[in-house]
Amino acid sequence: MKLNKDKILAVFLLLFCGVMINSSFHIEDPGYQGMKASYWPRIILWLLSIMSLVMLVKSFSSENKIDAKKSFSLENINFLQFKNALICFGMFVFFLSFLEYLGMLIGGILFVFGLLTFLGGRTLKNSLNHLFISIITIGVMWSIFTFGLKVILPEGEILKIW
Amino acid sequence: MVDVILQAFASIVLDPVTLGLMLVGTLAGILAGAIPGFTIAMGVILTLPFTFGMTAIQGLATMLGVFVGGFSGGLMSCMLTGIPGTPSSVATTFDGFPLVRSGRPGLALGIGLWSSFFGGMISAVILVALAPQLAFLGLEFGPWDYFSLIIFALTITVSLSGGNIVKGLIAGLLGLFAATVGEDEINGVARFTFGFDEFKQGFAFLPVLIGLFAFSQLLTDVEDDKRAKSPLMEKSGTLVRVEHKQAITIILKRWINLFRSSFIGIFTGILPAAGGSISNILAYDQAKKASKNRSNFGKGEYDGIVAPEAANNATAGGALIMMMALGIPGDIVTAVMLGALMIHNIIPGPTFIQDEPLLAYGVFIAFFVAHFFMVGLQAFSLRIFLLVTKIPMYVLASVILAYCAIGVFALHNVVFDIWVMFFFGIIGYFMKKLGFPLAPMILGVVLGKLAELNLARATAISDDLLLFISRPWSLFFLIMAIVSVIFPFYQDAKKGSQFAKIYVPASVFALALPLMFMNSSTRLVIGIVMVGISFYFIYKSFFNKRLNN
Repeated sequence: MKLNKDKILAVFLLLFCGVMINSSFHIEDPGYQGMKASYWPRIILWLLSIMSLVMLVKSFSSENKIDAKKSFSLENINFLQFKNALICFGMFVFFLSFLEYLGMLIGGILFVFGLLTFLGGRTLKNSLNHLFISIITIGVMWSIFTFGLKVILPEGEILKIW
Repeated sequence: MVDVILQAFASIVLDPVTLGLMLVGTLAGILAGAIPGFTIAMGVILTLPFTFGMTAIQGLATMLGVFVGGFSGGLMSCMLTGIPGTPSSVATTFDGFPLVRSGRPGLALGIGLWSSFFGGMISAVILVALAPQLAFLGLEFGPWDYFSLIIFALTITVSLSGGNIVKGLIAGLLGLFAATVGEDEINGVARFTFGFDEFKQGFAFLPVLIGLFAFSQLLTDVEDDKRAKSPLMEKSGTLVRVEHKQAITIILKRWINLFRSSFIGIFTGILPAAGGSISNILAYDQAKKASKNRSNFGKGEYDGIVAPEAANNATAGGALIMMMALGIPGDIVTAVMLGALMIHNIIPGPTFIQDEPLLAYGVFIAFFVAHFFMVGLQAFSLRIFLLVTKIPMYVLASVILAYCAIGVFALHNVVFDIWVMFFFGIIGYFMKKLGFPLAPMILGVVLGKLAELNLARATAISDDLLLFISRPWSLFFLIMAIVSVIFPFYQDAKKGSQFAKIYVPASVFALALPLMFMNSSTRLVIGIVMVGISFYFIYKSFFNKRLNN
């Protein structure tokens, strides 16, 4: 049996459905008349399980068509393909984790500057350009939302000191 | 009625703030449509956070500006560079680019621009005429019918969004499931919160939508190192003077093509999920079939520009008809608009036009006005387009990612919403990589709560589930749902196969039956005609050939 993306995905979805269906049995029943709170999610989850099963069966039936090169293995995954996406994920997690301390203005500028530097290259000229872009764009957006739309964006611990 | 229309007119045309916002919206839409890799939906989604602080009509008018501008923006890049800015302008490239290369860029742009304008105007008239009528029809719907309509909207989205139908259905179901997380609206009971208080409010639909669509798209855009660092367009074209007068004369001489293409656009727009990307190709194909100069198509034929451009702008009106009349979004753009209305505590549905006439007619008028802005701004936007295309994608993506975070926070002033956007952004990115269409999932999230609410209402009124198939409208939509699920198999079936022969007549026949039971003489006649048509198709496919043989 060769592994392929669909097979792994179908098994993952079946597991997900299993966990969620089990969790649906713990949904409180206040005893009101009418449709129970667990009824609709369970319909969806059963249908999702059936569809995942169909996908699994289909992935088995198409097994013969998959050549060895396309079968799933860690060696066949080109991690470099996801490099930039992973950088974005990492930067975003960093930005969100420190939002409380840095605030939207400083955090936003650091996030854009960091992302621009990672994605666009780290020469001195680039860095200066990136710093300029991040200060201007985030500054303008922050001003529009704060003063124009009266949205109170996270201030952060650093700006609070001032 | 007249005073409502006048008030709505005043709220748009006589309000400089609304006009100014529409102007900026239309310009942004033209640019979003013109830049390859950016879509109209992306433009509307990014506009959304700015509309939180506006009134409902200002917000919708701004988004309509982006929507209308986006459809015409696509023609700039496809004509000047041969690269379609949006999928809705793919067919325009076939004849637009050759006409530009033959030395008539001003005329090519003019024909595209004014075809968009006329197509939009025709669809605006149909929108005004049809939406109230369709809403009137919607008043007949009970919760059973509404539930079935939502099921149909989801299944047709799955079948038209292309690719694997099983994956499409899984995406739709995942969207429906995401909408169940949090306190349910009927019993007020927490579901799937796993002890996290933040989950009790559920996933707000807009962060989910921005994550699934915009965030995941931006990640895809910067994936390739080389592409991310190069300017948005290598060839960005040159400034062109549009030949307005000659273009209008050429289009009006082709009024049959203009009307046919506009109606194709409107019909495609009404169908959930079938947007401008389908209508422009369909209209182009029909124009080619109907033309006496078929051999000129692909070489700069005027009809080949009129058809797709009229069709794609007309699609906007069609999509709005469904949202305004029934509260069912036809595509991602109208789903965002639905979300914008919900922010202002307005729930579109069959009573929307009656309950909120000022807003409804305001939308109609804004749709008209946006087309005038679109024409007026073309020359100016061309200059900005030439500048914007020099920016590398990684710069744009980085800035927009930050903007998405600020915009999503502004929705409820909660950081958790940004985490939701991020989480669904990752899901959307990997789903795309694994071949799942995102449109069904987005519609699932949008329509999930509505579906559950109507199912609850239906079961509260009667526990007889057979009502779902014994009520004519409900049965009609369920049959439509089955027909739409089978549609991709029909597309794959060989032309002469038994299945291909039986699919259309069987579908028409099945849809005719509920129509005949609707207690309306008009619908009875339509039903009988449909039965006649289905028998004619069967006769033509099976018996006519045998007789000939």
